[in-house]
Amino acid sequence: MNIISVGVNHKTAPIEIRERIALSEVQNKEFVTDLVSSGLASEAMVVSTCNRTELYVVPSMAEVTCDYIKEYLISYKDARKDVRPEHFFSRFYCGTARHLFEVSSAIDSLVLGEGQILGQVKDAYRIAAEVGTAGILLTRLCHTAFSVAKKVKTKTKIMEGAVSVSYAAVELAQKIFSNLSMKKVLLVGAGETGELAAKHIYAKNARNIVITNRTLSKAEALAEELGTNRVLPYESYKEHLHEFDIIITAVSTKEFILKEAEMQHSMSRRRLKPVIILDLGLPRNVDPDVGKLQNMFLKDIDALKHIIDKNLERRRAELPKVKAIIDEELVGFGQWINTLKVRPTIVDLQSKFIEIKEKELERYRYKVSEEELRRMEHLTDRILKKILHHPIKMLKAPVDTADNIPSKVNLVRNIFDLEEPNQSLQ
Amino acid sequence: MANIFLENSLLFVLTQLVPLLYMVTTVLYGLHFFQETPLAGKFKQPALILTVVTHVADLGLLTSTEGYRLSYSAYNLMGMVALTLAITYMFIELTTKSDKTGFFVIAFAAGSALFSSILSAQSIASGPTFSGLGIGVHLIAAIFGFSSVAIAGLYSGLYLVLFRQIRLNRFGLLFQRLPNLEALELLIMHAVAFGFFFLSVTMVAGVYEQQASTETINLLDPRLISLFVIWFLYGISLFIKPLVGWDIKHMAVLLIALFVLVTILLFIMSLITPSFHGVRI
Repeated sequence: MNIISVGVNHKTAPIEIRERIALSEVQNKEFVTDLVSSGLASEAMVVSTCNRTELYVVPSMAEVTCDYIKEYLISYKDARKDVRPEHFFSRFYCGTARHLFEVSSAIDSLVLGEGQILGQVKDAYRIAAEVGTAGILLTRLCHTAFSVAKKVKTKTKIMEGAVSVSYAAVELAQKIFSNLSMKKVLLVGAGETGELAAKHIYAKNARNIVITNRTLSKAEALAEELGTNRVLPYESYKEHLHEFDIIITAVSTKEFILKEAEMQHSMSRRRLKPVIILDLGLPRNVDPDVGKLQNMFLKDIDALKHIIDKNLERRRAELPKVKAIIDEELVGFGQWINTLKVRPTIVDLQSKFIEIKEKELERYRYKVSEEELRRMEHLTDRILKKILHHPIKMLKAPVDTADNIPSKVNLVRNIFDLEEPNQSLQ
Repeated sequence: MANIFLENSLLFVLTQLVPLLYMVTTVLYGLHFFQETPLAGKFKQPALILTVVTHVADLGLLTSTEGYRLSYSAYNLMGMVALTLAITYMFIELTTKSDKTGFFVIAFAAGSALFSSILSAQSIASGPTFSGLGIGVHLIAAIFGFSSVAIAGLYSGLYLVLFRQIRLNRFGLLFQRLPNLEALELLIMHAVAFGFFFLSVTMVAGVYEQQASTETINLLDPRLISLFVIWFLYGISLFIKPLVGWDIKHMAVLLIALFVLVTILLFIMSLITPSFHGVRI
């Protein structure tokens, strides 16, 4: 019983190839159903995100190799002209398990430790379970991957610290102010960047957010979406600058919208209480000289990238811990796979003894009362359980290598004279 | 002159153990702050509690022969400074659940404990013991006042370091681990308020005791003058922010200066002038 994975991701193929081979949810369902119903695989699952399309397959026959699956996907997507097998990676058995554990723990992601991938793997498993292509092996593999990801999240710092500009802006604001819910925030610009920053700061309990934008209706729409419903006309917002503790600017302009003299005036009106200006505009929205003012923290995208770099550095330092967790779980998963190989022998062994028990009891069925027969049955069950306990325990015991399993299985089969097992189960 | 530490083996052991425990606690807080060692994180708070309990036991044993009244000596003063710093910080950690400044406060406490331990090698059967409520309150309030000054100074230093790190885009270890600027500001202002309160109590109790005592107190004693100057500056710093509009950054500089001044005065005077405000000992 093998489990293989093939796929393209940000490490193996450029974005054009990844786009070409990506599967929508509908295609995903159709593809895995085809693979299993055609008898090529007994189980199949596809993880498809913007950065990866990866197949996890339990082949039904030896002919179904990694190359075969790659070709199958390429022809399904009709992408023979653009996509070649060299764009794919291939993994087998424990390599497949390790890969899925790394993907779920977000250490294989483009942005190390990003938080979305686990949800995407869970979605992939949900789809496979819905269409019935996730069997015992994929189910166990996925659940172990989820457990690995949970352990990694709680026991390491791989997901700590901001790694996007808007998150870094909020992280910085939190390093200056204790409680953002007590602070007044001004958002200048209701575009995509401004909206993202406003949502992040809102998520950190900042509720007093005032929005201004050249097009007032856009500011009103964002204010309504956030639930703050507070806007200022773009023409007059500068009269209120002194009221704000946090100012986020994200407008598209070639000239500075906030100049040193304006901010100096604002600072004296607020009696030098600290202010942080997060300039998320490109080109910059705020005169750099504003940063020289007393108790003024002016941070542009470059400064925020310093935070991101430091956080990524810290995340990279956590990699050995993550890999140790994965190694530990991989051992457990490997041992579980090995128990699958002895399962038919255990079933045969139990069946054989039950058969003997039933034959012997049958001889006494009309010689004793029903009550006595029930007692005899109860007694023989207990005896069988005790007799079988040790051989089953021995079969299930972890082995150093999978090569040791056949000798154990053969020993038990010979001793108890069990019939030859069904090869497909082995 | 006999040294009581050599006559009481349990007291001797405890006196040696106290600075050792302070140092171990400092190392644990340091390891947790700088390297985030999980074991240090687990044991640092129990170590701090053990240190405080051991120090209190040591102090109890030391003063038991004098009816649990503390005698005036540099050894006792420095020991009390270490203890009050540790207790004050323990209170901060337990109430705010923030353990990010522990290393800096406990390291200072450890320094005081070590200094106290060195002084214990000298003969200390000297100095007037507290013989009245007034003098007791005076000395205890002075010690707590100094601890507040120390904590305000230490937190002011941390505030300035973090302020500078943010201004210069240095988002390293201190940026990651220290509490935010506003939290540090709150801690500083609380320490200043407590400091002013305790220094006021020190002065009132001192005046009360002086009037009740037959001893002549030298009003020009440098300790008295410096206490008054520090009390005055602390009082000003409490109101300087709301009235004059000084920002916390400038206040932090003032508080560090006061802390340095008080520490230098305390160390030098404890060593050079072995008297209690002019009362020869």
